[in-house]
Amino acid sequence: MKFRTTLASSALALSLAFQAQAADVPEGVTLAEDQNYTFWLLDAIKSMDPQINTDVEGSDVLRNLFEGLYNEDGNGELVPGVALEHEVSEDGKTYTFKLRDDAKWSNGDPVTANDFVYSWRRLADPATASEYAWYMELMQVENAPEIIAGSTSPEELGIRAVDDHTLEVKITTPLPYFPQMLVHGSTFPVLQSAVEEHGDDWTDAGTLVGNGAYKLVEHQLGERVVMEKSDTYWDAENVVMEKLTALTINDVNQALTRYLAGELDRVDIPAGQYPRLKEEYPEQAVSTPYNCSYIYMLNVGEKGPEALKDARVRKALAYTIDRDIIVDRILQGGQKPSYNWTHWAIADFERPELDWADNMDQAQRVEKAKELMAEAGYGPDKPLDLTLQYNTSEDHKKIAIAASQMLKQINVNVTLDNYEWKIHTDRMQNQDYDMARYAWCGDYNEASTYLDLLTSYSGHNNGEFYNDAYDKLMKDSKTAEDPQPLYKEAESILAEEMPIIPIYHYANVDMIAEDIEGLPENNVNNTWYGKDLYRTAE
Amino acid sequence: MLSYILKRLAIAIPTLLVLIVISFLLMHSAPGGPFTSERELPPQVLANLNAKYGLDDPLWKQIGSYMWGIVSDFDFGPSFVYKDRSVNEIIAQGFPITLTYGLLSFAVAVIVGVSLGVAAAVRHNSLLDYVAVGVSIGAQVLPNFVMAPILVLVFTLWLGWLPGGGWQGPEYWIMPVIALSTSFMASIARITRSSMLEVLTSNHIRTARAKGLPERRVILRHALKPAMLPVISYLGPAFVAMITGSVVVDIYFSTGGIGKAFVDSALNRDYAVMMGVTILVGALTIFFNLVVDILYGWIDPKIRY
Repeated sequence: MKFRTTLASSALALSLAFQAQAADVPEGVTLAEDQNYTFWLLDAIKSMDPQINTDVEGSDVLRNLFEGLYNEDGNGELVPGVALEHEVSEDGKTYTFKLRDDAKWSNGDPVTANDFVYSWRRLADPATASEYAWYMELMQVENAPEIIAGSTSPEELGIRAVDDHTLEVKITTPLPYFPQMLVHGSTFPVLQSAVEEHGDDWTDAGTLVGNGAYKLVEHQLGERVVMEKSDTYWDAENVVMEKLTALTINDVNQALTRYLAGELDRVDIPAGQYPRLKEEYPEQAVSTPYNCSYIYMLNVGEKGPEALKDARVRKALAYTIDRDIIVDRILQGGQKPSYNWTHWAIADFERPELDWADNMDQAQRVEKAKELMAEAGYGPDKPLDLTLQYNTSEDHKKIAIAASQMLKQINVNVTLDNYEWKIHTDRMQNQDYDMARYAWCGDYNEASTYLDLLTSYSGHNNGEFYNDAYDKLMKDSKTAEDPQPLYKEAESILAEEMPIIPIYHYANVDMIAEDIEGLPENNVNNTWYGKDLYRTAE
Repeated sequence: MLSYILKRLAIAIPTLLVLIVISFLLMHSAPGGPFTSERELPPQVLANLNAKYGLDDPLWKQIGSYMWGIVSDFDFGPSFVYKDRSVNEIIAQGFPITLTYGLLSFAVAVIVGVSLGVAAAVRHNSLLDYVAVGVSIGAQVLPNFVMAPILVLVFTLWLGWLPGGGWQGPEYWIMPVIALSTSFMASIARITRSSMLEVLTSNHIRTARAKGLPERRVILRHALKPAMLPVISYLGPAFVAMITGSVVVDIYFSTGGIGKAFVDSALNRDYAVMMGVTILVGALTIFFNLVVDILYGWIDPKIRY
């Protein structure tokens, strides 16, 4: 992925080397008669409005109904969407996108630069009240914070249409990974006339106007979503899959049964069942890295326990947890034990060598942990009492029980606190906890999506870990020619200060029908597009 | 009778009001809100959301404008979580589904349950009785969250006869109805049986038999009606419970019904949906309790209001 780093360093015209083509069917492959793809949703889709949606599952549907500036391919590399190419100014703060002139809305209108201008303003506009308005701030688009705060009008947002097919975006600080962020659903265009004509009902089946490869034909809330190939899509002739159906099944095991009965082409594998299914269906059970990191967040702030303000105690806790047991015995789905925060499969990211992770076995780690606890003044005569809070889920419970048993070795008595999701989150955000289960899923395929979270100014730093050196590294990384060494250093600070206990890095474990091709195999965000899929004949 | 009905309806209104206010306050006192999420929203974004949905007003004002919306426009507000939809739309989509499988389940439960109960009582201490009692106890102790996955395993995966879930046509109704009706059917059978046994020993039955009426006529004409009294009092709340949905049925059979929406709304703090469904269930409960009381009077002329 040299693409990003070169982009940051110099102004250049970037032309994505190849023309994106929808389904890439190799020669000699016979396609099946039936080109329907049925996939699984755990929950009802909360919104079909790109600027309102906040869910991963919603995004899976939206990517088929709408198309943003760029798409991702099976390896997570950018490929043209509505934008063909872009140029970056000398200072890295102005992006000029060249849009394709054959992109159309499903009602036949052309997709223009103005559609993006309207949609991005709509995302930031307080009147829209989007939960993802902050994404405009994250993208550093000019004036986004003031617009969200209501002190500036949305017209002032740093985006303008130079002409119908040229879009200019101004950002406040150079962001090496800016193009990656454009894959996110909240940046997708919507058609102003369609939104204004139907108000909140504009996303209903039959009414929704999109620019994606599919159009919405049915949406039964909590039951199914049906999408059919759109003839107005610019690359429609290369779209093979005729119909996409998403079935909502709230129970993972039930979904698996229905997959086995042939009702679905793809489904998640419930925890612990991967080894059995892999043995029984080696071609169908697959495990791929997934852009989320599971941790125990430690409350090092004012309201946190005294003991956790001591880095030695925090390290001892982290060292004592045996991640191999958690991954191999509890989860059993190809997840990786983690000793750092950023997911291992993130593009270009390399974790620094960490003594405790790379050069010690578990017994040595526990020994070291005991020493650290003794130095901090804790031991068999003075045990430490801590609470570990987790939200309701069988898996979280199993992991928490295992962790509490492991921590007994260093005389830490853990009380488990189980709360329903909203209460868990509320307590974390009010610092009413000692240790709490937390997971973060990256918004894009770059390490800052994780590392920014632990800066003092992040707004998600619920453990209140404030470290000036860390903040400085992350600030510097935004303008650095190559941010990777800075990310590495930031991870080293985390290993030294241990404000979080890394547990494991996620994997997607799925059953995928053998005759379905074109799903991404090497994309940590698991960004998939119906237009890339096809079903082969037996 | 009419004045009694009017009086009951008049009481229903304050009852509903109390229900609304208490649910509203309870819900708002639960920690977290509709926009609490793992990614804590920036304060300004949260403020914009609260302003849009009126959550920044004092509670009394929120209750007031909520009630006014219902009374003036029959508008139960927008969903805070399913943002493309209003509460009216969510109920309009989910309730007919729930009503369909609820009514069918009710019919199945009553017909099978009553027949089984009567048959068992009439052939008291026979093989039929033991089988009927066995079946109904078995059906009662088998919870539907166990039965539902078993049904799908058998009828979808093994036999391939029925779709494993969804809501597209009559073949999708069968398993939800079995799962929902079984335990109600069992209760009805047991209540019917014991009530019938008691009635069969009463004086008017002995008289009927002494008159030389055929047994069939004794059972259907003279025993069944009084024996139904305890069954009816069970049926009122059971009916409401069935037509207002079952979260288990909705989860395991992906019906898109209102039961799942109700539970989700509580977990999501989707205040408006939760209030909407609470009011719906509350109103139905009050109404069908009244219907049951009226039926009492019809079945047992000794009961007067």
